Amino acid sequence: MDKCIACGLCAEKCPKKVDNEYEEGLGKRKAIYVKYPQAVPLKYSIDAKNCIYLTLGKCKKCEEVCPTKAINYEDKAKEVTLNVGLIIISSGCKPYDPGEHDIYGYKNNKNIVTSLEFERMLSSSGPYGGHLVRPSDNKEPKKIAWLQCVGSRDNHLGANGYCSSVCCTYAVKEAMLAKEHSHDSLDTAIFYMDVRTHGKDYEHFYNRGKDESGIRFVKSRVQNIVPDSETGTQIIQYIDETGKRQKEEFDIVVLSVGLCIGNESIELAKKMNIGLDHYNFVTTNSFEPVKTSKPGIYVCGAFEAPKDIPSSVIESSAAAGMAGINLAESRWSLTKTKEKIEEINVTGEAPRIGVFVCRCGTNIAGVVDVPAVVEMAKKLPYVEFAQENMFSCSQDTQDAITDVIKEKKLNRVVIAACTPKTHEGLFQETLTNAGINKYLFDMANIRNQCSWIHAEAKEEATEKAKDLVRMTTAKVALHAPLEEPKLEIDQSGLVVGGGVAGITAAQTLAQQGYHTHLIEKESKLGGQANNLYKTWQGEDIQTNLSALIKSVEKNDLIEIHLNTEITGVDGFVGSFETHINKNSKDETLKHGVTIIATGASEFKSDQYQYNEDERVITGLEFDKLLVNENLDLKEKNTAVFIQCVGSRIKERPYCSKVCCTQSIRNALQLKKLNPQMNVYILYRDMRPFGLREDLYTEARNIGIQFIKFDFNEDFSVNSEEDYLQILFTDTSLRRKMEIKAQLVVLASAIIPEKNNKLGPLYKATQNADGFFMEAHAKLRPVDCSTDGVFICGLTHAPKPIDESISQAQAAATRAVTLLAKKTMNMQGTVAYVDQGICSSCGVCVSICPFSAPTFTKEGRFEGKAEINPVLCKGCGLCVASCRSGALHLKGFDTNQIFAQIFALNDESDKGSTNTIQVYKKDSAEAAV
Amino acid sequence: MDSYTKKIRELASNLLKDNKVDMVIGFNQGTIPMATSPQVARTPEQALEFVWNSNCSINLANYLSNQKGKIGIVAKGCDSRNIVTHIIENKISREQLHIIGVPCTGMLDKVKISSSIDGEILSYSEEGDTITLKTKSSEQNIVKNDFLASNCETCTHRNPVIYDDLVADLVTEQKIDDPFKDVRKIEEMDSDAKWNHFENLLENCIRCYACRNACPLCYCPTCFVDESDPQWVGKGQNNIDVRTFHFLRAYHCAGRCTDCGACEQACPMDIKVRDFTRKLNKDALEIYGWEAGLTLEQRPPLDTFNPEDPDEFIK
Amino acid sequence: MTEKKIKIISFLCNWCSYGAADLAGVSRMQYPADIRVVRIPCTGRMSPKFILSAFREGADGVWVSG
Repeated sequence: MDKCIACGLCAEKCPKKVDNEYEEGLGKRKAIYVKYPQAVPLKYSIDAKNCIYLTLGKCKKCEEVCPTKAINYEDKAKEVTLNVGLIIISSGCKPYDPGEHDIYGYKNNKNIVTSLEFERMLSSSGPYGGHLVRPSDNKEPKKIAWLQCVGSRDNHLGANGYCSSVCCTYAVKEAMLAKEHSHDSLDTAIFYMDVRTHGKDYEHFYNRGKDESGIRFVKSRVQNIVPDSETGTQIIQYIDETGKRQKEEFDIVVLSVGLCIGNESIELAKKMNIGLDHYNFVTTNSFEPVKTSKPGIYVCGAFEAPKDIPSSVIESSAAAGMAGINLAESRWSLTKTKEKIEEINVTGEAPRIGVFVCRCGTNIAGVVDVPAVVEMAKKLPYVEFAQENMFSCSQDTQDAITDVIKEKKLNRVVIAACTPKTHEGLFQETLTNAGINKYLFDMANIRNQCSWIHAEAKEEATEKAKDLVRMTTAKVALHAPLEEPKLEIDQSGLVVGGGVAGITAAQTLAQQGYHTHLIEKESKLGGQANNLYKTWQGEDIQTNLSALIKSVEKNDLIEIHLNTEITGVDGFVGSFETHINKNSKDETLKHGVTIIATGASEFKSDQYQYNEDERVITGLEFDKLLVNENLDLKEKNTAVFIQCVGSRIKERPYCSKVCCTQSIRNALQLKKLNPQMNVYILYRDMRPFGLREDLYTEARNIGIQFIKFDFNEDFSVNSEEDYLQILFTDTSLRRKMEIKAQLVVLASAIIPEKNNKLGPLYKATQNADGFFMEAHAKLRPVDCSTDGVFICGLTHAPKPIDESISQAQAAATRAVTLLAKKTMNMQGTVAYVDQGICSSCGVCVSICPFSAPTFTKEGRFEGKAEINPVLCKGCGLCVASCRSGALHLKGFDTNQIFAQIFALNDESDKGSTNTIQVYKKDSAEAAV
Repeated sequence: MDSYTKKIRELASNLLKDNKVDMVIGFNQGTIPMATSPQVARTPEQALEFVWNSNCSINLANYLSNQKGKIGIVAKGCDSRNIVTHIIENKISREQLHIIGVPCTGMLDKVKISSSIDGEILSYSEEGDTITLKTKSSEQNIVKNDFLASNCETCTHRNPVIYDDLVADLVTEQKIDDPFKDVRKIEEMDSDAKWNHFENLLENCIRCYACRNACPLCYCPTCFVDESDPQWVGKGQNNIDVRTFHFLRAYHCAGRCTDCGACEQACPMDIKVRDFTRKLNKDALEIYGWEAGLTLEQRPPLDTFNPEDPDEFIK
Repeated sequence: MTEKKIKIISFLCNWCSYGAADLAGVSRMQYPADIRVVRIPCTGRMSPKFILSAFREGADGVWVSG
């Protein structure tokens, strides 16, 4: 495997074609292959079941063509024993197979595809190259339908009772993408039971799909699909909103298949002896959401419950952190450090550039005339040395390059080869080994972006390779040695907010061995959880909360600051200084990382007689009644829960995620207190996502009435002496309804603190709804875009307790990844200010997403901008925005990019293009 | 207009008398008709030379960059908007300023007037909307609104947006149905027509940089056209360099330009350089709902990083 | 008649489009050899000056992607 350079010749020559699993069987691959182009490491492997040599004993085509002798037919699966202290299971899930109990005729109809197959159909690297076509005849479709809940929320044989949680959102996404891919106006319809877009920002996405993209949403459970063999369409019959039976034809029907647990995972769980629930998901406790029933084994991702990518990534950090607690003492004990090589100072020397042009076997040399590129390079200004290499990345070539650098006293290096995305680090190390600053280097991408994509145009590819080498060489001549700023990290953390998320984050940091400040503005810890009764799994929240509070109170590493407000913040990652006012006294706390967990509050409606009639209460107030074991509740004849009060409306377009489950759980509790009570839940879409669906099923079985009301019609609650009158329109009956109740519970929105002052203080941004924004929804779901600041709990988005806890554990774990380093080496490619020509206009200060530029506070350049290299990410926004040209970006400076542009044409080869050479002399070259 | 002049003189001389400011920036009569000249008054007596009429189109905010001390300044609508931009961009602080606000009724287009009058204009006076011009051989009355500078015709911010004193009651703002008609006309041209339009537009540019020097937004210690490492743009007269200068100057004004017209007024070759800046003003308004210099609370849209930036243009 | 050789300068963001161009290579997608890629750290680094100077150098087109 070490020898494979992923040139792909083996796959090209392999005679055996097999169905490509990655393309969901829609495309073909060879018997020697990479699973998908983004695979890491990018190495080819032989599929032993299909390899002609391994099955029939003849062929060996791949061995013949492999330029690096990487083929090893003897390679076998090896048994390896690892000694570990802890285990994290993240074996995931598999898509539900609709062919097993094939009610839709999926197996025999090419135009009925699963959602995963449809993803491949949309992909530009997929079987149809991103062109949306009907699989049966490659015609462009006019109409596509999505059927939701295939294999989910279904108690029939082979299906699963739970909600798969992700399918509604992905169906909206697929329908939007399909519309974008389509040349004509494509009709898309999603057939659903409830639209469950409960994740952060997903409701906005749903609204966009509905209102802007024009996706049709049809509330109907479709039972069968009738194919029309003549037209290739699929006929779907359903009942529409007005109660009429409809018949529609679709070119493609996408089955939105759910997630389920594969047999291998079940086997694994049995081997490890961890508890699974009746759906074979790993059982966990809401307060320890990543801990399995067996000590030392943790779980994350969809094996725990059906969930989306952000939640899975959050849990993965949480699981790593929880496991890491037990390993905190042995941190760094197995680490080895590398010997440092003294760097030669090349400042003031004229550039002496070495250009190495890689043949990459035949990968480059088979298309590009490599010797011609080398000859051209030799003539370029400042080039002292140029040669070709067979494989520049091989160890012996690396050593040879190191020797050449030393021998020829090179002080700049260009490697024309594959791509810096994969090989920059490797070649930089070569420079370091030769005693040259690693930034005195650049790559010309003549493989991935040249020979591979112009295989049939050898001459043009050679011209292009020459241009790229010339451009890169011109740039490298202007490279300077760069220093990487080093940052000391204060070995302590600060958590703002003493609710469940904040407490958990503080606890996790302390368990990892770090001194932690926990700030709470109220006089006691617990936040909103102080009012909560039970989790959806039935765990008592008060008992668990007080245990949690006790554990942080007695932890010596945690300093709890009650009645405390934050008044100001200085510093940045590694060395924050937070100024607090604690019981009216000012204090300053120093810390290396910050976790924001300031929570949210419950919306208080000014409608539905709330505040006017004490029989109308909010969901949280109802929980509090249950916590206090209020006995009056038993006496009510009729209770009504009204969903989405203050959520999913114009002013507050997001879904509050927890209220559906909370209402169901509380409705069940009422039924338990008084089985005779009439309990109604009036809803728009019921969203007891994931395994919570069981609770919904239970509630319906027990006789709780769920009524979908028409959101666009009048809805009112009127106070009468003996009862509350609730008037609304039922969507199924399409008529006005009245319920007389003694109790109305408003399932009210979770509202964040808009314009939270911590935002500007810690440079964390809030979205339009007022929730703090993560750096990346999927890849960095608990990081703020500002380094060293993390978010968790309700301040990030509405979420139930188990998710707040896993997110808090994740945030603390992400914080620990910084703290554990003790010092950080930042990148050298950062911006700097030429203060002499700075005009102090402040564009850079304003525009930087990372707060790297500030105004110099004193001295000769007072008021001029300066860059904190530790905070700078090298994006160059400030550089491009600076009108005065005072800002520069090391490694991508203006003159360096200009040099590349100016080297576009070969000066010695006039007339090769339609270049306007005459203009060049008078001005452009001065930049070099 | 005499009442304006009187009030400006009174306010300015009092400010200087009471030592509330070190200087007041305003206009004096100038040496030829229809050409007022900016003046800095440092004594109450000098303040009595101040005048106000429909020829005070120069943008005085230009004189504020990096000034020290307390300054009084006479400011019509556009000047005040540029003062706002100056404050936002740290060229001057609000505390340093005493703004004498002038509700403006529009400035005159001198070129338009002189081309409609025979002979050299020897004297100028105005009374309300009537402007009286004398040449050697005749005396003519013209209606002011027929000869407004084109930026004043479409101006919707004639009143100063910030001020400490006002020289008169605020005027009613103009309601303009289609303020960017001229830009739309260019936008609607096919690419050949557009190419010709801009080629003709810049044909006569002599690169004197008067437009840049008149613009209050251009205050960099070293302008990019003067920079030599890297040399952003060639210094000669070749077409690409001329265009580069104009394009980049316009980009530097994006989201900041108040359409005060100083650039065009200053141009000795009568080049309609506002064709560039007005297109960007239109975009700023349509994409970001932004007009420059109306608030101290917010930086221009292109100065800020906002992940929820409207991104329609990228599709 | 010979076809005119054209050159398109592409400014590609290191984090997305540049990586995508690499992936196009891994997938062996074939397209004309007219583009010359300049890698930039972010399209935020892009300045109109680069576009203008690319045209000045005789580029037939400029493509900014990120």
